[in-house]
Amino acid sequence: MSLLKNCNAYVIASMLLMGAGQILYGQWVKGLLYLALQVTGIIFFINYGAAMIAGFITLGTVEGNAWYGIDGDNSVTMLITGLFAIIILIMYFVLYVSNIKSAYESQKLAASGKKPQGIIEDIKELADKKLYKTVLLVPIIGVCIFSVLPIVFMILVAFTNFGGDTVPPALVDWTGFESFKRVLTLGTFAPTFIKIFGWNILWAVLATAFGYLGGLGLALLFNKKCVKGKVFWRAFPILAYAVPGFISLIGFRFMFAAGGPINQMIVNNGGDVILFLGLNSTWLSRGIGLLVNTWLTVPTSMLLATGILANMNKDTFEAAEIDGAGPVRQFVSLTLPFVLFATTPVLITNFMLNFNNFGIFFFLRGGFISEGYFLASDTDLLINWLFRLSIDNNYYSIGAVISLIIFLITSIVSLDVYLRSDAYKKEDIYR
Amino acid sequence: MKKRIIIPLAVIMAHFLVITGIIAGGFTRDESVSLDKDAQASDRFTGILERDITLRVLENDTALRQGYFEELLNAFNAEYEQYGIRAVDANMDQYLDLENDGPFGFGPDVLYQANDRIMRYALGRHVQPLPIEQLDCYPHIEQKAWDAYKMTVSGQDYYLAAPVNIQGPFLFYRKSLLPSPDIIESWNALYKFSQERREEGKFGYMKSLIDVYYSIGFLFSYGGYMYGDNNTNMEDIGLARNGAERGAGVLRQLASVMDERCIDFTITQISYSQFANGNFFATMTTPDVYTLFVDELMAVGFTREEAVAEIGIADVPKLPKSGDLSEENPELMPSRMMGGVNGYAISSYTKYPNAALAFVNFATSYDMVMLRNEILGIIPARKDAAENLGELAQTINNHLVEGNIVVMPSLMGQVWTPAETFFTDLANDPFRRDGDRKFTTLESKRLALERLSGQIYDAIHTLK
Repeated sequence: MSLLKNCNAYVIASMLLMGAGQILYGQWVKGLLYLALQVTGIIFFINYGAAMIAGFITLGTVEGNAWYGIDGDNSVTMLITGLFAIIILIMYFVLYVSNIKSAYESQKLAASGKKPQGIIEDIKELADKKLYKTVLLVPIIGVCIFSVLPIVFMILVAFTNFGGDTVPPALVDWTGFESFKRVLTLGTFAPTFIKIFGWNILWAVLATAFGYLGGLGLALLFNKKCVKGKVFWRAFPILAYAVPGFISLIGFRFMFAAGGPINQMIVNNGGDVILFLGLNSTWLSRGIGLLVNTWLTVPTSMLLATGILANMNKDTFEAAEIDGAGPVRQFVSLTLPFVLFATTPVLITNFMLNFNNFGIFFFLRGGFISEGYFLASDTDLLINWLFRLSIDNNYYSIGAVISLIIFLITSIVSLDVYLRSDAYKKEDIYR
Repeated sequence: MKKRIIIPLAVIMAHFLVITGIIAGGFTRDESVSLDKDAQASDRFTGILERDITLRVLENDTALRQGYFEELLNAFNAEYEQYGIRAVDANMDQYLDLENDGPFGFGPDVLYQANDRIMRYALGRHVQPLPIEQLDCYPHIEQKAWDAYKMTVSGQDYYLAAPVNIQGPFLFYRKSLLPSPDIIESWNALYKFSQERREEGKFGYMKSLIDVYYSIGFLFSYGGYMYGDNNTNMEDIGLARNGAERGAGVLRQLASVMDERCIDFTITQISYSQFANGNFFATMTTPDVYTLFVDELMAVGFTREEAVAEIGIADVPKLPKSGDLSEENPELMPSRMMGGVNGYAISSYTKYPNAALAFVNFATSYDMVMLRNEILGIIPARKDAAENLGELAQTINNHLVEGNIVVMPSLMGQVWTPAETFFTDLANDPFRRDGDRKFTTLESKRLALERLSGQIYDAIHTLK
């Protein structure tokens, strides 16, 4: 506001034409640079940007028909290019504001009798006092292009009818919250969502706990003085870790198959074949999934815990022992808080990875549709269901809604847990 | 004070207005592009060959591997060199993404694909309707084969590809293990023989029953169908119609002479080696995997000639009208199996439609089809070629004409998983304990098929 009240004619000139104020203050290079960027921006919008933004709003008005050589509009391309044009527009306004602020800075310097800063000084400043801006520029652009743009695109798809029969060359439309409404209220859809969501939460908690505690347990065991040949034993879980996960999963699938080695042993010993991963083996399959996932995740936790345990102060344990604390008490009061403190962020990451563990049941059990589920099996996690809906059945907008829900859940849970943890609240406790 | 703010604010507002005006200009565009009512989709085929051009042709991997494609390209290029037309390998994955690549000019000009794939492209107008009467093969191919590529738009029929070969399953068996020819004539005889082999600790017919492509034919055989009105009405899912549950009963009986491996894909993976070592007597598959049987037999000591002589390939056995494989002297009827027609289509994005049509004409000629059969062992869709190749090729052609090969619809994406689930449940049934069996009556099978149809319907329509 003070800028608007106190600005002089030179600054107003910059408001009208980018760089004009700077040029009037003798900052020729900077002024011309601003002017060039404005001209480029306007040319871009006249030639492309305006049509891109219009396309973003309409998502196309002419349906293509390649038989007759009618190119038509591709709604999905329009959505992406429109988004790109909007980002350029935002950048244009950021540049516009920076141009005014820069002109105002020059006005203030001139008023105090100093010479407005030239381009050389600006560059020097960017290499020194404002180095953070220079260094962060490339990563920020990278994050915008490779992370923000796809996420925003996915969010936008959730508000369209993209999918099913409505795929290019057919025109896609904005449908507001219609897809959200379907996911949450549709008779055949909502119950499946609730069932999968419940199982997904249970799975993420159990899988994270099993993997974490299993790794910690092994690390503690291998840390005991009485264990001989520690290096040898530690190598075994690492072998499991070294094999690509999906290869292990396919191996386990074969082991538990109807004609697999486990069933062969059962039959050879006079038993009946057990369909471990069969259509009706809901909890057996879920249990095997947990077991296999523990097998795959324990090595990482073990390695992590081994490193952390090596840093623990042994004097504390000696003091605790003198005070009469037994092994369980020592574990609960000393070891666990120490390890938890150091590994909370890893624990959160593991929770998120397990929540979105696509491969485990996809490779282990394959594709079934369970009774009472809509295009899903009783071991599917939300991410598997998302895959079935969007890839197998083309329901992209519904898939985007589920992605958004997964994104919200994982980010809220992760942030909440992290903000409550000692790792965040008591940063220097173990320093 | 107010005046001071008003001027810069007015200038900023003016700037914003200009930008808004520029963006608003984006909404005014020429939308006069519309369809000429008199235009025909086949207008692009003027008959005048484009000169000095290169045609990009996509073939399937087997044709590339076995050398047929090279022969085809050489023969075509020799003939059309005078026009400056050269055909080359499009050099892309056989499961191409024409929907996304085509509009940007990356797709092939001519593509060889299965009918379900071509017809899926046709829905998005990515392949061009052909003036089929102009093709030399037109009178030599049965209308049923052309119909695999027929699409009706606004009451007008369009044909999107030229048929080359008919795909359908065959029974592959070990000739030396066949006690009498009638074993492979009917499923009842094969079922009985399989029971006898089980008593000896070996297997007769073995197949992963959850493989929808093969199992769904048993439902079709007894009156079931995929979609109504010749697979065009997706509101009508017919897998439970007309007594299709008897087909489910046949599959359940077949499961009982196998073992639990029929409930997953184990048999598919091991069938070639088990066939070679004599543990399995017969299985059902398509001719494109023929060489795998030969290789496995050679691995257990057969010479190539002996292996070829040992492999029996027969038409799919006949089914009992009653749907009971244990029936003695049953009244038999032909099996109806899922199949397809592979052929050449022309991309709508080609710049050389006339040269592409010339290529299709050349590749579907009698000589090239016969060569294709010689190298790849395909069953030609051309009647004249099939007649020259003997009984099996003619039988398959007749099956297509008589409807015993059901051409796979283009929209199967929502069918595979629900159907696989049903066949898994069904194949599992004989291995359940007495009180746990689900499909002991025809009614229970019919209800399960109704549920399956409902799942497919929901998958297609619920979120449409």
